[in-house]
Amino acid sequence: MIQLNNISKSYRTDTIETLALQHMNLSVPKGEFLSIMGPSGCGKSTLLNIMGLIDEPSEGTVVLAGREVTDYHGSQTARFRNEQLGFIFQSFHLINDLSVIDNVELPLLYRRVGGKERRELAREALAHVGLSNRATHFPNQLSGGQKQRVAIARAIVGKPNIILADEPTGNLDSHMGGEIMDILTRLNEQLGTTIVMVTHDERMAKRTHRLVRLSDGERVS
Amino acid sequence: MIKNYLTLALKVLRRKPFYTFISLFGISFTLMILMVLTSLFDAGLGKNRPLTKRDYLVVSPMAQRLLTVPDTSLIVDTLSLADGQLRYDTTEEITERTVSNSNGPMSYRFIMDNLADLESAERVAIYNDGSFTDGFIDGRKYTFSSYYTNADYWRVLDFEFLYGGPFTVEDVEAAAAKVVLTDRAAREYFGTLGPELIGREMELGRRTVTVAGIVNRPLADSPMFAGDVYLPLTTIDARALADTDVSGGFSAVFEAATPGGRRAIKEEIDFISANYQFPAESNYNKLEIMNATVVEGYAMATVREQDPRKAMRILFIPLTALILLFVALPLINLINLNVSRVFERRAEIGVRKAFGAGRRDILLQFIFENLVITVIGGMIGLVLAIGLIRYVNANDLLGLTRLSLSYRVVFYYLLVILLFGLLSGLLPAFRVSRTNVATALRG
Repeated sequence: MIQLNNISKSYRTDTIETLALQHMNLSVPKGEFLSIMGPSGCGKSTLLNIMGLIDEPSEGTVVLAGREVTDYHGSQTARFRNEQLGFIFQSFHLINDLSVIDNVELPLLYRRVGGKERRELAREALAHVGLSNRATHFPNQLSGGQKQRVAIARAIVGKPNIILADEPTGNLDSHMGGEIMDILTRLNEQLGTTIVMVTHDERMAKRTHRLVRLSDGERVS
Repeated sequence: MIKNYLTLALKVLRRKPFYTFISLFGISFTLMILMVLTSLFDAGLGKNRPLTKRDYLVVSPMAQRLLTVPDTSLIVDTLSLADGQLRYDTTEEITERTVSNSNGPMSYRFIMDNLADLESAERVAIYNDGSFTDGFIDGRKYTFSSYYTNADYWRVLDFEFLYGGPFTVEDVEAAAAKVVLTDRAAREYFGTLGPELIGREMELGRRTVTVAGIVNRPLADSPMFAGDVYLPLTTIDARALADTDVSGGFSAVFEAATPGGRRAIKEEIDFISANYQFPAESNYNKLEIMNATVVEGYAMATVREQDPRKAMRILFIPLTALILLFVALPLINLINLNVSRVFERRAEIGVRKAFGAGRRDILLQFIFENLVITVIGGMIGLVLAIGLIRYVNANDLLGLTRLSLSYRVVFYYLLVILLFGLLSGLLPAFRVSRTNVATALRG
């Protein structure tokens, strides 16, 4: 499902060049729940961004869902992200001006899905994360755990093949973090969604199928 | 998709009442003032009745008589001493110097003899606007500004007749005791307004005249048509008609066959001025019959300047600058407000892009948000402006001038709103649409 071949990423300023990733190879089969761990600044998020077509590698190729996407640009990238990828962020990134259900609908908006169908799919996704009764609330009326569940509903509403989660439990206490992991595991088992999760938490990582460790931009396990 | 942008825009505006209020206040107030200004100019310069033929007319409100004398100057250019003799080169210059001048409207005879039959003019309106006449009814007295006009006056100027009609060529020839009134004068004198007033008699000055027509009072305060009552020019004091001097109390408006024909009229008038021979005993030796387009005439009257080109410059250059500034200041302010607000929403844009929004989607979303608020503000401004214009007109706060509220003004206004909305939204939207997703989500 995800194939990274010889990926390197460097950031260049006027004076220094920082290597974020070095010759990284990674293959994630369909239906796998993979976690990535490593100290801060080791390139975890960069790796996830490259998989999510949010960042471009300096070298190497990316194959997602059977398609070579390294050279995708502009609207091509936008459409691919919209159809194939779902994102979950550490700080939730919900849009505060929109109600819960409007937030969840967001990906469908860019897929030109009709209003009625959008509502239906969004309600379904909210039911999946157990938040049907919060549809008309606004993000600032929710707890951290609830916000992250809304974010998960938003990530799955378009039924993507791949979910990329950047420290989804990082801002939550262990109880709420556990709940989020329950939902992600269920998603992976029931819908067969491929999930790649960056985490700092060993306990969360242990609940996934496989763990990849990074250090200084290189795979160490 | 447009519906989505629209509902999204409304949602965002509802969620940010303070920002929405500030923006709306600024937009509606600015646009209201712009609309009132447009309206003021349209009243004076627009093709409103009776100036629907504005672009075909040349106005000749007055003539200037001058006494000029040759002015000789001798300049010594070089001075040298050669063979014990003083040698010098000189330049002699002869210019014209104006010793005295006098200007004012022309006499009836002068117009009839010199200007009534211009080859390039289709017809000429002649009017005398210098007098006031008292009207009497039931022991009360009203003072009316009275105009004495020829019959073509009513063809050159396209008055809106509410009832009745103008006096005819035959009426003028026969010096018929007929009058055309403005609606205001009619209401003032008779206490009512309606078709029943046609044919009614009126005590005007020492005469009894019959009402031939009632016209809607023009919006603008123009010397061409600032009368309350209009009478056939043959009914004016006989001495005014017989006077053979250049100056008198009459002015003329010429109508050309096409807008381009105005140039020929102006040239013909200038030719007449240049070739005019004053009688030997006259105090003057040079004549300049003023001629200008209606717009030039408006500028000349507004800034009290006799040279048409100079008047246009004095009026329109600072005015354009002022209006531009007036539009630019709130526009820049709005752009600024939008830019900072848009940057607060960088994370939102990052999220939208991550979930599949393209640059176009983001661009359109922000342009729409801005258009929605500008249009709402514009509508509030429109209501405020209409209220203000009605209030000003109802109470005659601008003297004789009334503000025009035509479809044309509203059309210009809508254009301004759209322009305002697009301009103030475009730059911030453009910048924000280029947001890098990774950076936006990190920060």
